[in-house]
Amino acid sequence: MARRLPPPPDHEGHESPAFSRRSFLRSAGVSAAATTLAGAAEPAAAAPAVLGPGPVPLNLKVNGALRTLSVEPRVTLLEALRNELDLTGCKPVCERGGCGACTVLLDGAPIASCLMLAADASGHEITTVEGIGTPEKMSPLQAAFVEKDAMQCGFCTPGFIVAGTALLARNPHPTLEEVKAGLAGNICRCGTYGRIFEAVHAAAQAKTPSHRS
Amino acid sequence: MPQEPKPEPTRTITAKAGLPGSPQALEVKPLASDIKPWDLDDLPRFRAMGKARPRVEAPLKVTGRAKYTYDIKLPGMLYGRMVGASVPAAEILEIDTSKAEALPGVKAVWTTDSRVVRFAGQDVAAVAAVSPDVARDAARLVKVRYKERPFTHELRDAIKPGAARVYDMDRMPTPRELPRNGNVAGPRASRSNRGDVEKGFAEAEVVHEASYYCPVHTHVPLETHGVIASWEGDQLTIHSSTQAIFAVREGVAEALGIDRKNVRVLCEHMGGGFGSKLGPSATGSAFSVVACRLAKLAGAPVKLFLDRHQEHLCTGNAPSALMTVKVGAKKDGTITALHYQSWGSAGIAGGAGTAGPAGALHGKNPNLKIEEYDVFTNAGPAAPLRAPGHSQGAFGLESAIDELAEKLGIDPVELRRKNEASPVRLAQYDAGVKAIGWERRNKKAGDMSTGNWGSWSESHKLAAAPDSLRRGGGGGPGGSGAAPSRSGKARGLGMANGNWYVFASENTSAQVRIHRDGSVEVITGCQDIGSGYRTAMMVVAAEELGIEPSDVTLRLGDTQFPEGPGSGGSTTTNSVAPAVRLAASQARAKLVELAAAQLGASAADLDVGGGRIFARSDPAKSIGFKQAAAKMSGESIDCLAKRARQFETFRGDLAGTQFAEVEVDTETGVVRVVKMVSVNDCGLPVNPLTTQSQVLGAMIQGASWALFENRVLDRNVGTMVNPNMEWYKILAPADMFEAESILTPVANLGNNTSTAGIGEPPIVPTLAAVANAVFNATGARIRELPLTPDRVLQALSEARRA
Repeated sequence: MARRLPPPPDHEGHESPAFSRRSFLRSAGVSAAATTLAGAAEPAAAAPAVLGPGPVPLNLKVNGALRTLSVEPRVTLLEALRNELDLTGCKPVCERGGCGACTVLLDGAPIASCLMLAADASGHEITTVEGIGTPEKMSPLQAAFVEKDAMQCGFCTPGFIVAGTALLARNPHPTLEEVKAGLAGNICRCGTYGRIFEAVHAAAQAKTPSHRS
Repeated sequence: MPQEPKPEPTRTITAKAGLPGSPQALEVKPLASDIKPWDLDDLPRFRAMGKARPRVEAPLKVTGRAKYTYDIKLPGMLYGRMVGASVPAAEILEIDTSKAEALPGVKAVWTTDSRVVRFAGQDVAAVAAVSPDVARDAARLVKVRYKERPFTHELRDAIKPGAARVYDMDRMPTPRELPRNGNVAGPRASRSNRGDVEKGFAEAEVVHEASYYCPVHTHVPLETHGVIASWEGDQLTIHSSTQAIFAVREGVAEALGIDRKNVRVLCEHMGGGFGSKLGPSATGSAFSVVACRLAKLAGAPVKLFLDRHQEHLCTGNAPSALMTVKVGAKKDGTITALHYQSWGSAGIAGGAGTAGPAGALHGKNPNLKIEEYDVFTNAGPAAPLRAPGHSQGAFGLESAIDELAEKLGIDPVELRRKNEASPVRLAQYDAGVKAIGWERRNKKAGDMSTGNWGSWSESHKLAAAPDSLRRGGGGGPGGSGAAPSRSGKARGLGMANGNWYVFASENTSAQVRIHRDGSVEVITGCQDIGSGYRTAMMVVAAEELGIEPSDVTLRLGDTQFPEGPGSGGSTTTNSVAPAVRLAASQARAKLVELAAAQLGASAADLDVGGGRIFARSDPAKSIGFKQAAAKMSGESIDCLAKRARQFETFRGDLAGTQFAEVEVDTETGVVRVVKMVSVNDCGLPVNPLTTQSQVLGAMIQGASWALFENRVLDRNVGTMVNPNMEWYKILAPADMFEAESILTPVANLGNNTSTAGIGEPPIVPTLAAVANAVFNATGARIRELPLTPDRVLQALSEARRA
């Protein structure tokens, strides 16, 4: 399944009221040159400027909450989530988009957080595995992973949970081949794929068809 | 003169051993302080043991709350980064760290004392800085001047006369007594050698001889190697992603010249190791020690993790192996001789043997000669990788046995039955044959009209479109979704055997603590590699105490707890479970004494179960576990027990056999595994759910080795071409097949729980089973792994010409 970046929000209309791209860019002290970084929203200004290289303030909407952090512009979303926000469910494994262990949802679509700059994620809704459920209140997919023993060392598991959640959101009753395709970007070294497929199917059965909405 | 310690007295116990279907009374001699082993009579009595239950840490893992070493952040922590050699063979002339040191944010720098580079990726320098990015910048600023030397990158080049020498003769890390020639040390004879192979071959009516080759695989644990080192005065704490916390403590303390009492190593959850994390750091790096030094220099905690590229180079790998197998038999299939020669390359290290299966399988053969050679190459040192050497060895041996069966015109299963010495494996063949549908196989390899594929041709038509969906999503062979021509797909079945051993570490202790409120802790140092070990130990304690596993909390992964083994050799359950059970039985005895006083019964008449303590003579006379505990005088009942020594067992080996069904696209050369069945002895399974997860995982990892994995070193520059996870191919969801695990429980009476390990045995036969199935499908024998399309197409064209 190809991972596509959702389009950035058009201008400021779709952004959180608590946060606007304009305020971010202003607070970062940049304008034109940075717009490619932030999503081409601003008209070109006179003097080109760049973000950084030092830390810049940044707002990220993660698991429904607006979080403020200060990172160098080169910091990836994966590093920002883990090192700045202590959301360590997404894992650094290959750090080049080849394994799926760092998968998070960006506006509902699964992306490799190691391949995206944190700054590029501002203005988008980010959901990490921590936002999908808690040990006390697991999502149906998480509960199915537990029940089917769809993990061993567990280091790939959050990535599979996030990718599987996205799959069930767009296709509530996938066939086996659709499950394989939906999880194709995720690698498990302990060899738990079969049980992961069983868990996705069990979760699909546990959900109501209206889940898509 | 110190006196030899007096051996502890033993007693003799008769118990029911073996398979449930064919029990056998066996005398065992446990230590007098140990307890009667669980045997076949206990099977129906078990309340906690043998029930499928989800692993206890699962909710933390699926919600991202399980904190792995990589996830830990300490206040003021710096980020370390290793710098590895960029060339495979050289003298280091200069390491210039001045620019790195001058970079703002860099807090400490380390350089190696060694001046000789023998593989690309070898430790050269390291830095610690305020962020991962600054550490990366600083690492790039370390400049190393090398005087490069000739190198040899691959086994088959390294054995040639005139190949560049990895070591001077006297420097070779190999036993003194072994002959040396160029980069080769050996032969090493095996203790299994027996009879006279020349005589055996003279008696043979059919002889097969061929060479087989298996490339280097790397471990690729998803959590790379790494530590967080922090000092408080002279107290050193190391969070380590390790399979062996006690080995980390020992190795780091020795390297730093400090007392072990001042070093504490912790590991709560770990993201895979597969054998590469059994040492203090890794086989090709001293990063743990370096991190401790950087932390000392900087006066702050240092987190140092390798990246994926470094992980491939210096943390171990499975040796490549060139195996020449000569096997002779009578026309009825009786094997009369086996001569097994193996050249293995563990890079700059020795110990690349592969002869385990040759020494153990086909045990009725009277004449066996094994010779093993180590070949040195300029590549990172190997490390144990899930049944080290055995998958390679079984690929060579079991491919050769399959070829012998073909020459003899005998069914491969029948040939193996004929030469089988294990009663367990004899029972396993039937289960495997049935589960895979062995009768469907092509009687003539490559000719599907000689197989029984009736139901397949229909299902194949339906499945044709999704079949084109390969890893990575879309594209790939037949990516348009057009059904490939019927003649383009060939199916076949293959099988192979594997062997493993019952290893245990007797230096294992466990503590069971019953608190006055009735809550129970099991405390034992051994780390959890992700096998389901944590849950298994809770089950063992619960069974002995008559409570629910969920009533038990396991404390683990801390060198301040009682000693446990490294998680390697499939030893963990087999080592720790007997200590847990013994400690639990001692705690139970103390609790029963308290209950006896409260019930006015004799302790000898009391039993435990269902969370209660009751009189056998009058079960109505009972008291709750918690009520009984409430009467203790102190805070807790604490019992510490050491694992007693291994008893004489029913079998000292673990039998296994495996069956594979494959589909080969004869136009593109793509091999797809359709189904695999693994039949395994694992002693008495503690938790079949997690036991079977390990078996399934071994089949999947083995199929990945068979089909995809290959560490490629550049012949021109000696560095790794595919040090990542998209070019170092690992079996992914789209490549997945139907996998079935069949356990054959065996009461082995080797310890008081009759358990055995299962992590490694099921990966031993996989490579050969898949390759043999490809032969059955196509009639083309491929003697070199992985079974990539180029090799398949070449073998097909050779088979057509023949």
